[in-house]
Amino acid sequence: MIGFLQNLVDALSLGSLYALAALGVGLLFGILRLVNFAHGDFISIGAYALIVPSLEVTAQLFIGAWNWTLMIPTITLIVVIAALISDALVFRPLRRATAPTLMIASFAVSYVIQNGILMIYGARPKAANLWSGLNSAMMIGDLRVPLLQVVTIGVTLLLMGGLTLFLRRTAFGVMMRAAAEDFRMAQYLGVRGNLVIGLAFAISGILATAVSLLYLSQTGTLSPTMGVPLALFAFVATVIGGMGSLIGAVVGGFLVGIIVVMLQAYLPQDLRVFRDAFAFAFVILILLVRPSGIVPTRAFIERV
Amino acid sequence: MLEIDDIHVSYGRLRALKGISLSVAKGELVCLIGPNGAGKSTTLAAVAGGVTPTRGGISLEGASLVGVRPEQIARLGVSLVPEGRHVFGTLTVAENLRVGTYMRADRRAISSDYDRVLGLFPRLQERIGSPAGRLSGGEQQMLVIARALLTRPRLLLVDEPSLGLAPRIVDQVYEILLAARQAEGLTLLVNEQSSHRILKHADRIYVIRGGHIHLHDRAANLQDGEAIKRAYFGFGEDPQSAEIEEDAA
Repeated sequence: MIGFLQNLVDALSLGSLYALAALGVGLLFGILRLVNFAHGDFISIGAYALIVPSLEVTAQLFIGAWNWTLMIPTITLIVVIAALISDALVFRPLRRATAPTLMIASFAVSYVIQNGILMIYGARPKAANLWSGLNSAMMIGDLRVPLLQVVTIGVTLLLMGGLTLFLRRTAFGVMMRAAAEDFRMAQYLGVRGNLVIGLAFAISGILATAVSLLYLSQTGTLSPTMGVPLALFAFVATVIGGMGSLIGAVVGGFLVGIIVVMLQAYLPQDLRVFRDAFAFAFVILILLVRPSGIVPTRAFIERV
Repeated sequence: MLEIDDIHVSYGRLRALKGISLSVAKGELVCLIGPNGAGKSTTLAAVAGGVTPTRGGISLEGASLVGVRPEQIARLGVSLVPEGRHVFGTLTVAENLRVGTYMRADRRAISSDYDRVLGLFPRLQERIGSPAGRLSGGEQQMLVIARALLTRPRLLLVDEPSLGLAPRIVDQVYEILLAARQAEGLTLLVNEQSSHRILKHADRIYVIRGGHIHLHDRAANLQDGEAIKRAYFGFGEDPQSAEIEEDAA
């Protein structure tokens, strides 16, 4: 039983990261019909911005060494600016393009960012030690809960709560929800298209920053392609959650986290190397039962 | 107030409008009548900035609207109620109504407008907190009209307000549109597929078919309906011009 609870905490912690990443992907998909595979690379930017640009294997913390009250806003600003620049340079000229074109453009953005990181920081993975204080553990009865996992789950819940309040209670939030549902109709009512899209990129940047910091604290390593698996799992989470539904993205993220961790824990030793194959088999199963995801939306119904 | 001068619109290879000219004077109710696929929706979408004409001009009180973004045109006081009841289904009725007010500069007048418009639609008041997607078709039509009125338009474009609604509801919709016209000096351009109801209310009628205007006259001169029927179906014309086209709007 304790073993299972231990795994569950791990699953929730990993699921939190996937849910945050999936929210970033889902938000842009909702408004722009963009499946943003560069989202993972926004996460990489947040992580690399913490360290001194060099080709050394052991990374020297740069912004990462600052006090967190200054460090978090600075990193967030850097990632948000990167997200807004990619909108301005790549996605804005493609406003009238189809969803597949946008997705391919996001692959291009992804490669540009990865190669940019490669040029500045080198190709080799780096070790970095962020917030090592969080590695201590709390004991709840016999359950050993690392502080970092508590922080991860807490930050995730906080960001989700904040995003929900923003979307429900503020004028910009209502405009974004309206635009996500019927972009053209929102424009007919005076909602500025580029403003809500810019907001969506900025928020996805904020969410990516949170994943950067939490993920780096957990793994302690950076590599130019570190964001790719995160973007992939986030994408899978939005698909099984129901493309275009933010609640679906969160549910999907946690579900993927739980599936991956439980497979890691309970698959026979010999099969564990195939964990991700089993995970994706689960995804296929879910989609067979619910083809439009757990929380279906009208995203794929053609608009007149 | 609104001048449309010889506009052409294409969707890919499909030519939806082949030279439409029409005008709406301040305070008028003008109706565009035509069969499905005639180009009625496209004409309204072109005015609202949803599609850009390849040729021709559109101007609102002298200012050109061609190439202007829909959100800018909305700010100039043009509000489009598109066909098919485009409510934001997951937003509540109240939120739907609010979306159109965010662009308004006269912040103070909004809450009194809000109360006044809801006074016209008691049904919406009752369902103010429910998601718009749960409303009936008639209620959704009321909602999109109320939402458009809350943008405080000078020119209201309404695309087929009677489509798929019970006759009693359609009468209500027209009553409200006419009341708003009286109260606020609203100018109206309305699309309809059939003429029998609109003939009572409209000042002028245009009959559109196959992307062309086939008839234009004061409603008073068309009351017997014969001229409209001929223009609508193309009786007594060169059969080549009576082509059938898909409406890609």
